[in-house]
Amino acid sequence: MTFPRSVDEALNDLAAAGPDAIPVAGATWVMRSPLRHEVMAPVYVALSGIEGFQRIDVTDEAVSIGPLATHDALAQKLPPNPDLKALKRASARSANPGVRRIATIGGNICTAAFAASDFAPALLSLDAQIEVRDKAGLEWLPVLAFLESRKSRELPWLVTRIIVPRTVRLSAHERLPMRKAGDYPCAIASVSIAVDDRGRIHDARIGVGAVEAAPRRWQNLEQALEGQPVDPALTETAARDLIADFTGRDAVDAPGWYRTSVLPVLLRRAFETIRTDYETRAS
Amino acid sequence: MTIELTINGEVRTVTADPRTALLDVLRDSCRLTGAKAVCREGFCGACTVLVDGEAVPSCLRPIGMLDGRSIVTIEGLAHFETPNPVQQAFIDHDVVQCGMCFPGMVMTLTAFLETNPAPSRGEVKAALSGNICRCTGYERIVDAVLSIQDMRKVSGR
Repeated sequence: MTFPRSVDEALNDLAAAGPDAIPVAGATWVMRSPLRHEVMAPVYVALSGIEGFQRIDVTDEAVSIGPLATHDALAQKLPPNPDLKALKRASARSANPGVRRIATIGGNICTAAFAASDFAPALLSLDAQIEVRDKAGLEWLPVLAFLESRKSRELPWLVTRIIVPRTVRLSAHERLPMRKAGDYPCAIASVSIAVDDRGRIHDARIGVGAVEAAPRRWQNLEQALEGQPVDPALTETAARDLIADFTGRDAVDAPGWYRTSVLPVLLRRAFETIRTDYETRAS
Repeated sequence: MTIELTINGEVRTVTADPRTALLDVLRDSCRLTGAKAVCREGFCGACTVLVDGEAVPSCLRPIGMLDGRSIVTIEGLAHFETPNPVQQAFIDHDVVQCGMCFPGMVMTLTAFLETNPAPSRGEVKAALSGNICRCTGYERIVDAVLSIQDMRKVSGR
């Protein structure tokens, strides 16, 4: 295990140790390798000593998040504003309290094998940008491009910052674990919308997680909701009409058909939250 | 790798593979078996200990990342003859059944009450959502925690 003090040192350590070395943030995923019948990586490069990696800055323009910010720290730091509600709820409801104190946002979005990340759909709905460093330098990627690049990007690389823009939007995050809390959700829906002067939905962004192997936007539903009122029941109906867009993954916690069955309900719940915030704002 | 930890107030030097879980160091090297190895994936809470005052699952903490940290286990929380308020409330309400989950429950609730000394019933349940009990149904555990709140009001603590 190495303990680099800078991003350059970390990249050097990873390069020197070769492809079997892994960067470690909160370690909650790698410590479960034996349960997945995986060999534990021979070298851990612990990122916890890199200055600024735990930092969270909230301004009126954006939220800047270091990759080692824990779920718990983010939940406490984020204001309850409607535009950030999806991110705040993703931070505050993932896993369970003990895991939230050690698991990080960077680890959550960098682990390509983890299908039930709460942050990935939340960041998709909030149009986040991901700062990635590798040997070639620094690159900013839209979150979807980052998620799609995780398995193919040449090693080593590190996420060094996450930026969530602040806008006059409404957002919500809904998840369905098999227990009330503590385990992985079998479906996740994150929503962010603008509402025009007539009270109609504009530019909806919907992130879906845990239903398929990788999170993604639900663009057909986003288009179907354009110009519609903020109506939870209408949203659920539209989601059911388009549910064939998804092929649910079968896994130990739930079969694929169940994930797609509950997803429209999560959309309805998300829009119930959004409608409440919209009515509060309008009054 | 050699790691220096303060465990239950005592500075200890541990030599181990840095990828070893804190839980295994506590149980196998330190003979502190109060933290239980159950799910080993952070879901059950039976291995919860305090690391620098925060209640976390020790199965998910590689020992190499804990150099210089302070660890408190159930064995170091209070003297056997003078249980802490959570332990006493569990005794008073006859909460414990098989006992497997209770060290973790006590650690979680002790840290929780330090930051939230007058919780609602819902807040207690939310705080316990990472501690699974297969025996009790939880309600008496929550009753016990809320009785601590009542005792504080009565005694003016």
